[in-house]
Amino acid sequence: MIKEERYFRTNIPLRIYGLSEKSVTITFGTEIDNDLLDHITDFNHLLLENSFSGLITTVPAYTNLTVFYDPLIVMLSDLPGEVCFEKVSAHLNKIAAIEKEKSRLTANHLVIPVCYGGDFGHDLLTVARHNNLLETDVIDIHTAGYYTVFMIGFVPGFAYMGGMDNKLATPRKEVPAAKIHAGSVGIAGNQTGIYPLETPGGWQIIGRTPLKMFDANRSQPSLLKGGDRITFKAIDQAEFNAYEMEI
Amino acid sequence: MKISIIKPGLLSTIQDMGRYKFLSQAVPVSGAMDELAHRLANKAVGNDDHFATIEFSYADASFKAETPILISYSGDGAFLVYNNELMPAEKPLFFSAGSVIRLINNAMGMRTYLAVAGGWDVPDLMESKSTYLTAGLGGVNGRKLEKADVLISGTILNEVSIKILNRLIERSLTYPNWRISRESLLPEKRQKIRVVLANEICWFDATSILSFLTSNYTIDLRSNRMGYHLAGKPLVKKVQKELLSTAVTPGTIQVTGSGDLVMLMADCQTTGGYPRIAHVAAVDLPLCAQLKPGDSIQFSEISRDEAEELYLERERDLSLITMAISLKYIKT
Repeated sequence: MIKEERYFRTNIPLRIYGLSEKSVTITFGTEIDNDLLDHITDFNHLLLENSFSGLITTVPAYTNLTVFYDPLIVMLSDLPGEVCFEKVSAHLNKIAAIEKEKSRLTANHLVIPVCYGGDFGHDLLTVARHNNLLETDVIDIHTAGYYTVFMIGFVPGFAYMGGMDNKLATPRKEVPAAKIHAGSVGIAGNQTGIYPLETPGGWQIIGRTPLKMFDANRSQPSLLKGGDRITFKAIDQAEFNAYEMEI
Repeated sequence: MKISIIKPGLLSTIQDMGRYKFLSQAVPVSGAMDELAHRLANKAVGNDDHFATIEFSYADASFKAETPILISYSGDGAFLVYNNELMPAEKPLFFSAGSVIRLINNAMGMRTYLAVAGGWDVPDLMESKSTYLTAGLGGVNGRKLEKADVLISGTILNEVSIKILNRLIERSLTYPNWRISRESLLPEKRQKIRVVLANEICWFDATSILSFLTSNYTIDLRSNRMGYHLAGKPLVKKVQKELLSTAVTPGTIQVTGSGDLVMLMADCQTTGGYPRIAHVAAVDLPLCAQLKPGDSIQFSEISRDEAEELYLERERDLSLITMAISLKYIKT
């Protein structure tokens, strides 16, 4: 078997392409992989700690990191290069050079409380039946998992997560629900996810978290970020209500 | 300064230069679709570019000045009319309390920006006043403007705004004799959209790339602030690869599974999983913002460096405009 190509083992010069006049993307690999994710997360942290003038923000994704900047400020900087692409690339390559000497930061671990089934998880039985399990088995398997947040995308605060046990894999609903409550925990295929906002959706809903996955008034509006690791903890209705009171 | 909305029009929202700081949390940029018109409307009343304006889609809207107001407008969706008289665009306009101003149709485009001296004052959310309707964020309670909404301006005016206002009042004028020349910033052929080829360009066969750069594409009915579906010759992938979701940005042109083009606009998702064939040059994005369903465009290729040079040139021109207006009013 041919080993998956991993650019990040030999990462200078970085593979960079322009996304727009204000952004470039650094490609670190080609496949979804936890090591690659941690590498991207590390690189992102280092870049934010050692930013260049004109840097606006960064967007991590499965295999790459996109860097947004203000071209007017970058052009005024003394980074080597004739155009922004060269100047920004020069800085990013400097970051890649530092990184080799640094050890990896430990990923954030968050516990997400979920009230499974009942009014909060109308499709718990569907998931159980589809996989020839009891509802309690579904909860046990879902809470036993250790999940990785690969990236935030799709809608504000939505985490693309990996790590769900295939024993829970269930196809999406044939007809999407018109309204899914914010905080709903769902399964679609072999993925699990949490709806951060009230939206229509086709996922099988097995429970709900009282946590606000997205809150525009928080300094970090999205509760989760790329690189985080999470586990789910089953709570009952009384605990759910207690959480909601606190929030 | 204060206005009340008599008729809100089809889709009117508060917008500014958007939210860039929260992209990693999947919060879209939003902001004015036609950033150029938004900025020119602001400049004409002495505002900073980032002050909030109202983005009107098409016309059929009207509002009333509840206090004396200093406003200006820019864009191609509508003309402002007062007392059956057409008001010039890209100029400061002074109206006394009680004046009723209407927007009438301008067939040229779709979106018009209304600036007020001091900017429209709505709360900042994630460092911006822009409305993002999908998640109900920003602007006026996260929604589009409605009949009877009252909008007020920020209380702190720039020195230039005060001077413009005072001079119009002293001379009992509605507007001065100068205006910003928006035409000089826009290319003559407005249906020609310059693009830079994107990272997945080599996923497509040569015939597809050729037809992308030579044939006409029409803005489909499925078009909104998130993006435009373009009707035209479908493109064919020569590799059977799938793209893992990755950052996209307004101006990105994606190719869907059926080979159709989607041009992403201000409210687009922050990440996408379709291969990207090209990116609209930032200087031509305002032209795209004025496109309506049924309009036809052609793409022409420029290099990444050319696109950057055009962008920097446009920014230099825009700062010269600000300087010229301020020199007109402030003795140095």
